[in-house]
Amino acid sequence: MAAVEQVAEQTVRERSAPGWAVVLHQELRDLWMGGRGLLLSFAFSILLSVIAYLVATNSALNFLEHRESVNVTLQVAVAVGGLLALLAGADAVSGERERGTLESLLLTPVSRSQLASGKLLAALSLWLAAFAITVPYVWFLGRGISIVGDALITGFVVGTLLAVFLSSLGLVVSLFAGSNRVSLSLSLFLLLALFAPTQLPSSAQKGWAGELLLRVNPVTAGEHYVGKIVVNGHPWSEDVSWLLSPMVAAVVFAAAVPLLGARFIQLRGGVSG
Amino acid sequence: MPAVETHGLSKRYGSLVAVEDLNLAVQAGEVLGVLGPNGAGKTTAIRVLTTILAPSRGSFAVAGFPHTRPAEIRRRIGVLPESAGYPERQTGEEYLSYHARLYGQTRGGARAVARQLLEEVGLLERRTSLIASYSRGMRQRLGIARTLVNDPDVVFLDEPTLGLDPAGQRQVLGNVQRIARKRGAAVLLSTHLLTEVEENCSRVLILNRGRVIGEGTVAEVVQRAAAPRSARLHVAPEHAELAAAVLSNTDGVEVGRADGQPGWLTVVFAPPGEHTADGSPNDAVRTLLDSGVTLLSFELEGARLSDAFLAMTEAA
Repeated sequence: MAAVEQVAEQTVRERSAPGWAVVLHQELRDLWMGGRGLLLSFAFSILLSVIAYLVATNSALNFLEHRESVNVTLQVAVAVGGLLALLAGADAVSGERERGTLESLLLTPVSRSQLASGKLLAALSLWLAAFAITVPYVWFLGRGISIVGDALITGFVVGTLLAVFLSSLGLVVSLFAGSNRVSLSLSLFLLLALFAPTQLPSSAQKGWAGELLLRVNPVTAGEHYVGKIVVNGHPWSEDVSWLLSPMVAAVVFAAAVPLLGARFIQLRGGVSG
Repeated sequence: MPAVETHGLSKRYGSLVAVEDLNLAVQAGEVLGVLGPNGAGKTTAIRVLTTILAPSRGSFAVAGFPHTRPAEIRRRIGVLPESAGYPERQTGEEYLSYHARLYGQTRGGARAVARQLLEEVGLLERRTSLIASYSRGMRQRLGIARTLVNDPDVVFLDEPTLGLDPAGQRQVLGNVQRIARKRGAAVLLSTHLLTEVEENCSRVLILNRGRVIGEGTVAEVVQRAAAPRSARLHVAPEHAELAAAVLSNTDGVEVGRADGQPGWLTVVFAPPGEHTADGSPNDAVRTLLDSGVTLLSFELEGARLSDAFLAMTEAA
């Protein structure tokens, strides 16, 4: 008892960290020290190795010039990095709810907005790790041409915007999902729907309707922008309007997380005994 | 000022009444046992009082703060929810440190609190083990330690001994006693185990279908419940006839013989109020002794909290 009081006094003197930072720190520990983040990153690096090997050596694919190779690698990194961030976001609240650990968090004085913000920032760490893994691959594939720097900066900016959007989207889904399985499934479905236009034939992507579809969708707009910089060698300012929807999506969804979190991070059910 | 006070507290889910018109007051250092069958509203009441759910009607104050200031209440309470989950990949020390930091402790301070509490609940040696390797009893003790990271004024324990073996129950209940006695915190203990309440709670609150159907000390509740009481008597076999005759003449007492068991009698006492004081067990024993009957044993049934609980919940 005396020790607890002593520590409480010490705490007042030393000044403690804000709630979101405490949550972020613990989430990062759980993600990376617990091994889940490392496992996902390892799987990602294997995937990237296979792709880099194929685009660099495969006789059917090595017709791609350096720029195309870098672009393909970067696009995969952005897509998979976004996927990892989305999955971490989708598990954030519904996972805690399902594991029975949410109630004890809600009982602390940390606000629900701060809980949501800490979890969102932790989810983004998966994208940052994915990007860090991508750097040497892009450097290797882009050696000899002067686009490595531009490609990495563009990939980082677009990937970060999309990762913020996708992890926030996953977290918002997680707030409302009845179970963790529903949250993960619905988030994946939404991600596939967002990527679907990239698989349309190029004829369907042309014309005002096609371009509008590509511009409105943050994922396709972001990937299109990366292609323009890396493949076509455009300066970053020429096609910057393509970044509008990724930016809007990132800002809107990132802002929605603490706002919706404050109201909707809650337990399901209620009457048990 | 009571540590917990409620006035006409109600919680409804649409047309379903989970808690209705709850009025209670719990003082610091007191252990209040909250009893009730499944679905009685115990967990809902605790969730309302711990600010997880908003009340539909009424008001309450915890640790001196009204329910309109939930953040202040949360700073001053410790809660062990029913079927609480634990992060399997954290160690016990890490788990407690994390929660201490959520209450505003510095990193070093949180670690010190964690170690002190782990020692208090007997888990210091396992502080670096993953929670995944903890037994259910150890997890419950860890949960109780977690409720204390902020040195709370009020502790809510929802079924803390659920699924524990007798040794685990004893350890958890020992901790409950320490919380009230050493820390001076008010404890609300929701449980199904009535012996647990008899042994550990200063007062009892019985809920049924969201309403309070009994409140007071264990003795008061038992008396008010007016559960049918009976006794098994063992007298010297040669005194069996005399004992039966004496008791038959006692007002409010019915006597029977246990078949094939010489010297054993069964006695049923009329509920208080229906007869004179002659129907009380004490008077029956006194009458027997005054008549020179050698009484070998007297086992009263129906005077326990479990009997009162059944009488009250079945009547409601």
